[in-house]
Amino acid sequence: MAKKTRDKNQHHSMVGEVWHQFKKNRNAVIGLIVLCIFIIIAVFAPMIAPYGYDDQDAAHTKIAPCREYPFGTDNLGRDVLSRIIHGSRYSLMIGFLAVTISIIAGGILGVLAAFYPKLDNIIMRTMDLFMAIPQMLLAMCIVAALGSSLFNLMLAVGLSSTPQFARVVRASVLSTRGQEYVEAARAIGGSDFNVIVRHIIPNSLAPLIVQATLSMARAIISASALSFLGFGIQAPKPEWGAMLSAGRKYIRQCWWLTVIPGLAIMVVVYALNVVGDGLRDSLDPRLKK
Amino acid sequence: MSEKILDIKDLSIRYVTEEETVLAVNGISFSLDKGESIGLVGETGAGKTTTALGIMGLVPDPPGEITSGTIEFEGENLLEYPEKKMREIRGGKISMIFQDPMTSLNPVMPVGDQIREVVLLHNNVSKAEARSRAEEMLEQVGIPKERYDDYPHQFSGGMKQRVIIAIALACSPELLIADEPTTALDVTIQAQVLQLMKALRTQYQTSMILITHDLGVVAKICNKVAVVYAGQIIESGTLKDIYTNKQHPYTIGLFNSLPDIEHETSELKVIKGLVPDPSNLPKGCKFNPRCPYCTPECCENEVEMTALSDTHSVRCIHVGEFDREA
Repeated sequence: MAKKTRDKNQHHSMVGEVWHQFKKNRNAVIGLIVLCIFIIIAVFAPMIAPYGYDDQDAAHTKIAPCREYPFGTDNLGRDVLSRIIHGSRYSLMIGFLAVTISIIAGGILGVLAAFYPKLDNIIMRTMDLFMAIPQMLLAMCIVAALGSSLFNLMLAVGLSSTPQFARVVRASVLSTRGQEYVEAARAIGGSDFNVIVRHIIPNSLAPLIVQATLSMARAIISASALSFLGFGIQAPKPEWGAMLSAGRKYIRQCWWLTVIPGLAIMVVVYALNVVGDGLRDSLDPRLKK
Repeated sequence: MSEKILDIKDLSIRYVTEEETVLAVNGISFSLDKGESIGLVGETGAGKTTTALGIMGLVPDPPGEITSGTIEFEGENLLEYPEKKMREIRGGKISMIFQDPMTSLNPVMPVGDQIREVVLLHNNVSKAEARSRAEEMLEQVGIPKERYDDYPHQFSGGMKQRVIIAIALACSPELLIADEPTTALDVTIQAQVLQLMKALRTQYQTSMILITHDLGVVAKICNKVAVVYAGQIIESGTLKDIYTNKQHPYTIGLFNSLPDIEHETSELKVIKGLVPDPSNLPKGCKFNPRCPYCTPECCENEVEMTALSDTHSVRCIHVGEFDREA
């Protein structure tokens, strides 16, 4: 019986080891908690928010933070707290989905480039071409071409960071591909697809996970910046960047209209960054003791 | 005589890069009967592993290319097989054990699943059936089946090599290629693994090519030996031919370099010089720069194999002309 429990523990040792290492990094744990809180807020936004994101109250415009409106109200009398809470849905969703798009697109391109030397130059030089264009500009071009909508915004942010993912994945797959177990997998008759999916990808994931958390922070900023510039989510939807942009006009009289959304962005991005850092440290076998 | 399972004729493989052309294998021929096992012995870089990869159809291309020869397996030339058919052969009819057990298992997949994978690839069975076959194989190599779900890092080197043997034999292959299966293991574990391989080989009636530079391992497992030097077989014969009646100066040097437990010596006897650079092989006999009996004729023409008996042949023009014990 005792042996059984020990075995049970050993099965989860890969995840367990990473968690054990991750726990040691206090900042990363705090970041993870903050992130979880934001996710909960986003999921239950309509229940948590005291008002709707578009509830206007002409009698209470531009009220500074007080007991009734902890984050104040904006020029149309909308409760900033409620808008931040609703806005977390957009910001987090953009972060997750944009990164998912880059992981899928960049991942496929990176694996193909690393696995088939003939495609390597074609794919990677094209990626270099895209990397030469500033990411923000590229995203703006994509939105401008496709028209501004939530999905196009995510697509633009996702595609504009695809080249970085392709690079990371390619490098990681190249080093995995040379491993003897990959040759062994071929020697038992595995097809290319089988070898890639069952042996190469699971062994190349660590750098990708880290890159993903770090890019999620960047994606949220990019989306906010695009919204700020008017390319992203349109009013009255309470995306944080868009709120920041809308509050710009009143920055002298109503500081809370810019500071509060700015702080929200900052906290989430910071949390994602420390979690990414922590993950990188705990996934790197060289740092393990 | 029993049926021939593998017949390699004049196999040549080279690696072409921008800087140089490396002639890794230069006209290797040998054959193997069903149930027989042959040891390919030679120094590092002699082309043993490339030959094995050639049989498996796994020579990396580019830069590798097979320039001539045929590899007949059960009467059919493997070199003419399309990739898809070759995949069915690999792991099914011919399987390979790699050198380093530490790196030839996928670190993020439970070992049992890795055995199950080969069963699923080659047999039309359900996952549950494949799993029970994999558990059976684990038990056969002396690992309790409760460890099916464990990961490679939870196993010792010897156990990993057992798992690899289990993978190799899971589909009862006709031919097993073992590429230095014991080099990475310590001596006691080596003995266990060799014992296991020998037992399983007899049980499954598998023919085997054993690649090694350990003459002791060959003596224990094989019944035929081929000594490989610079991509050529320079002497081949039965175990008895080679161990008691060696003829080629290189083979003699190889045996002389083994430390002798009965006589205390301060220095090991070595063969002078290094293996020739395979991108710049000497003219004539490939061994001539290092050979103590080298004559001008040795440096002129390619040396052909001379048959000394039905089983024993040697690639040297001065066979029998020099003192073998020197």
